Amino acid sequence: MAQSEEVPSTEGDAEERRLIDRSAAGDQEAFRQLVLRYHRLVINVAFRALGEVALAEDVAQDVFVKVYKALPAYRHDKPFKHWLHRVAANTVTDSLRRRRPVVSLDGLDQPLVSAGSDPQDIAARHDLQRAVRHAIASLPPHYRDTIALQAFGELSYDEIAKALDIPLGTVMSRLNGAKRLLREHLGDLVSPSEEANTA
Amino acid sequence: MLSHATTRDWLIPYADGMLAVDERGRIDGHIAGCASCAGELGEVRELNLLLVTLPPAPPVAFAPFWLNLQAVLPQRRLMRMPRIQPYRRLGIAFAMAVTAALVAAGSAFAAPSALPDNPLYPVKQLEEGMRLALAPANERMPIQLQLANERLREAQAMAANHKPLLAENSLRAFRVIVDDAAAALKNPADPKAAKAAKDALHSLRLRLDAVERENANRGDDDQEVKQLVAAANDELDRIEQEDAVAAPPTLVIGEQATPRPTPRPTPRPTPRPSDKDHRD
Repeated sequence: MAQSEEVPSTEGDAEERRLIDRSAAGDQEAFRQLVLRYHRLVINVAFRALGEVALAEDVAQDVFVKVYKALPAYRHDKPFKHWLHRVAANTVTDSLRRRRPVVSLDGLDQPLVSAGSDPQDIAARHDLQRAVRHAIASLPPHYRDTIALQAFGELSYDEIAKALDIPLGTVMSRLNGAKRLLREHLGDLVSPSEEANTA
Repeated sequence: MLSHATTRDWLIPYADGMLAVDERGRIDGHIAGCASCAGELGEVRELNLLLVTLPPAPPVAFAPFWLNLQAVLPQRRLMRMPRIQPYRRLGIAFAMAVTAALVAAGSAFAAPSALPDNPLYPVKQLEEGMRLALAPANERMPIQLQLANERLREAQAMAANHKPLLAENSLRAFRVIVDDAAAALKNPADPKAAKAAKDALHSLRLRLDAVERENANRGDDDQEVKQLVAAANDELDRIEQEDAVAAPPTLVIGEQATPRPTPRPTPRPTPRPSDKDHRD
């Protein structure tokens, strides 16, 4: 699984700690610098979940407002980036759930992951991605939040465990459950393609 | 040979590369002779492919994003007042005076030494904020240092009373205040005041030690308090180092919070390789 996009080191980062403390005390310039460090990461998580830039920006804004409000209670007991991922995953999945009824799987009757650049294929691929997003949104909360960190946040098992404060074994069990349900929900869309078989 | 059920239970961590080598070997062994489980593995990989191919966002400009975000951020009281024009200060002073009159009755009962667990603590914070806001620029730094000292007194008391969260809040507020004072130290309006403030920073170090001792005296010392104290000490180190680089210290005899008879380099927690050599 790929790692999330590059951001400055968080663990032991005294400057970041200072920015967090100042932001918690109401210093908006310090918060601006924190947002500058992480806005790309949060927008990416939101975009992967929602598929639209404008929506992703709105949700990313909600994420940072939540973070700003919650910063006074942040205790530095886990890396800020992991905490931010958790807030972002919760916020984007909430947003996904609110938009869920729009999606239908009708017309998606064959796997399209390895589709080419044909406009029809691209459109079908977008539909498929939307189906995946909304299948994730339909999961029970504990599965949804865990798989969201993997699918949208691109976190490893270990990073998910840290972000959610749960043991690694629980992450494995939740991802197992989540992916089983996703396969049931997506049905034939996850029939093996040649590309998947060689992965 | 693994059963179908066990193999299927492990297919997802297997596809995610989370199994140990021997576990992978057992799954490989089963899949090699089981078309059904091999087919299921194909589905798991297909799903993984779907999940990882969700595309990243195109580039988004930061400036407009921040402007929109800033517009909806809740306002939070800040323990410092940026530079204010004198005529505006008069207006603010009037508004503050009215507010002061309203809170006077309450503040009369709020001892200046109210601690964070006291219901009247917000009144004390308000008073401090007003005092700082109304102070002329050249008098602000001593007040900041006084407030920093007060935050440490609170942190010490809260640590002693087994209220680590309140101790942490006071320590965070302390760091913000000291950080502001440090900025003023770099561009001192009055060298004498700067020197006195610098000495006051040394006395803050003693307070920090006291907070750490109180925290350590508890059976379950709070790690966050410990880390915040260490971070605050680092901050004081940084301020002193930067100040020492900026200008050599001038000896000023006068009223100081903690007189230091002989200027000496502050002990650094950083390792000193030469120490070993001297011992040898």
